[in-house]
Amino acid sequence: MRQTYGKMLPGMRLTDLPGKLIVIEGTDGAGRSTQINLLKPWLEELGHAVLDTGMTRSRLAGEGIRRAKERNNLGRVTQSLFYATDFIDRLEKEIVPALRAGFIVLTDRYIYSLMARAIVRGMDTSWIRSIYSVALKPDAVFYLRIGIEQLLPRVVFSRGFDYWESGMDLFPGQDIYEGFCNYQAALLEEFDKLAQEYKFEIVDASAAADAVCDQLKKKIMEIVDPVRALAPAPRPADEFVNSLAAKIVASLALRYSELENSPAKTFPSTPPAVSVPPPRGNGLVSGI
Amino acid sequence: MGITSSIHVGPFEIFYPLKPSVSSVQQYGQHNLPGRLFVVEGIDGSGKSTQLSLLHKWLETKGYGVVFSEWNSSPLVKDTTKLGKKKKLLTPATFSLVHATDFADRTEHSILPFLKAGAIVLCDRYVYTAFARDVARGMDGEWVRDLYKFAVKPTVAFYFRVPLETAIGRLVGARDGFKYYEAGLDLGLTGDAEDSFRLFQGRILEEYEKMIPEFGLNVIDATRPVEAQQAQVRKIVQLQLNTAKELRIRP
Repeated sequence: MRQTYGKMLPGMRLTDLPGKLIVIEGTDGAGRSTQINLLKPWLEELGHAVLDTGMTRSRLAGEGIRRAKERNNLGRVTQSLFYATDFIDRLEKEIVPALRAGFIVLTDRYIYSLMARAIVRGMDTSWIRSIYSVALKPDAVFYLRIGIEQLLPRVVFSRGFDYWESGMDLFPGQDIYEGFCNYQAALLEEFDKLAQEYKFEIVDASAAADAVCDQLKKKIMEIVDPVRALAPAPRPADEFVNSLAAKIVASLALRYSELENSPAKTFPSTPPAVSVPPPRGNGLVSGI
Repeated sequence: MGITSSIHVGPFEIFYPLKPSVSSVQQYGQHNLPGRLFVVEGIDGSGKSTQLSLLHKWLETKGYGVVFSEWNSSPLVKDTTKLGKKKKLLTPATFSLVHATDFADRTEHSILPFLKAGAIVLCDRYVYTAFARDVARGMDGEWVRDLYKFAVKPTVAFYFRVPLETAIGRLVGARDGFKYYEAGLDLGLTGDAEDSFRLFQGRILEEYEKMIPEFGLNVIDATRPVEAQQAQVRKIVQLQLNTAKELRIRP
């Protein structure tokens, strides 16, 4: 049976949730959405139904948070609780129903990002933990870890600095570069603490996206299809078979090139006759 | 009587000590605030809003700087709450959280700054409303109390106690129909709005009764004449102002 982090929401049944809850965590720019965009079609091709969800995507509070962030007066406690509203709405209306229907839920961030952001903004750790004690424990948390040195060029040369990702609400006196460095460093510190406590699987996100994805696929396979993941890899053919195969290919290629160069080569003017095997004696008589 | 001689911050200790590295952000909470915070609580039809409005006028006449903040009125969160209620998206948990978000915004923008500035802040409904309603909806009592830990403890919290039937008698005729969430229709207790209202408000009353000793709520008998209740309220408020002459904006 599934578990929460301590408290139960009214009406939430923890039995019969056969789906898998997989969390992709990491700081801004770590490549979380890139990975989810690679993982989702891969899982679907394997035949799994996938729900992907992420912060501020709730029907209830997503739009409200976006509008509140456009204004300059979103306080820190209000911000933390607005995000909690968004999260719980998605937990109750998307994540739990999807798990009940046997989906693999890929979530771009989970309570850990929300806690890290709130703690960096000065909120009390036990307060924010108590709020998220109603969250479901996931099947795995993959933490895409990246240092600020590797993160900076990605941000500078792609989308540029964002007000909130640079913690400008926290460091209003600084320029956005300093803000970004300070804020992301504080977040990283918080993430590293959470990683230990909640046993994140750490994935080095400074590697190329494909390499990161291969690692993730391998680990996800262990969760969604442990039988296949544990099956021995196909044995490579031995040397004798390889050399034999090479000889056959070579001789076929030679034969082919001889035919190519032969002046007698002509296309047959009529299609070759196709012979149809007679019907077997199964008692049925064909209509012809 | 639950009257305190100075403003405490807590048992809900508001705002939390910030890391030393975040020095540009102010720390609230560890000090006493110069203002005064009076809140009224009670079920719909208890007459609490009438009493608060009479208190408001009296304080203004006496020359105090008064600020009023109403439950569920944050301009930042209002649209979200409205959407949730209109489209019936709210579960007990999100009902609780959206109201806590609203309250957080009012605490950060309409309550704390004014208390710091030495104003008298009057609140129509406070955290006790959330405790009563959310628990009546099935939320865990401890979880809801934790959720509101950032709130400032009121100087005095008045609870206007009234029997359910008296409250309903005042409401019927004064308004057209019961609202969906107000009547607890989201809980599916019964299909009839008035029956559901009665059941749900009954649960809320039980929660209020439990909170009287827990939080030292100041009970006012709301079946007494309006004038008698107001005289009692003013007497209690006056005691809290004697120690705070500097609140007055006019001599």
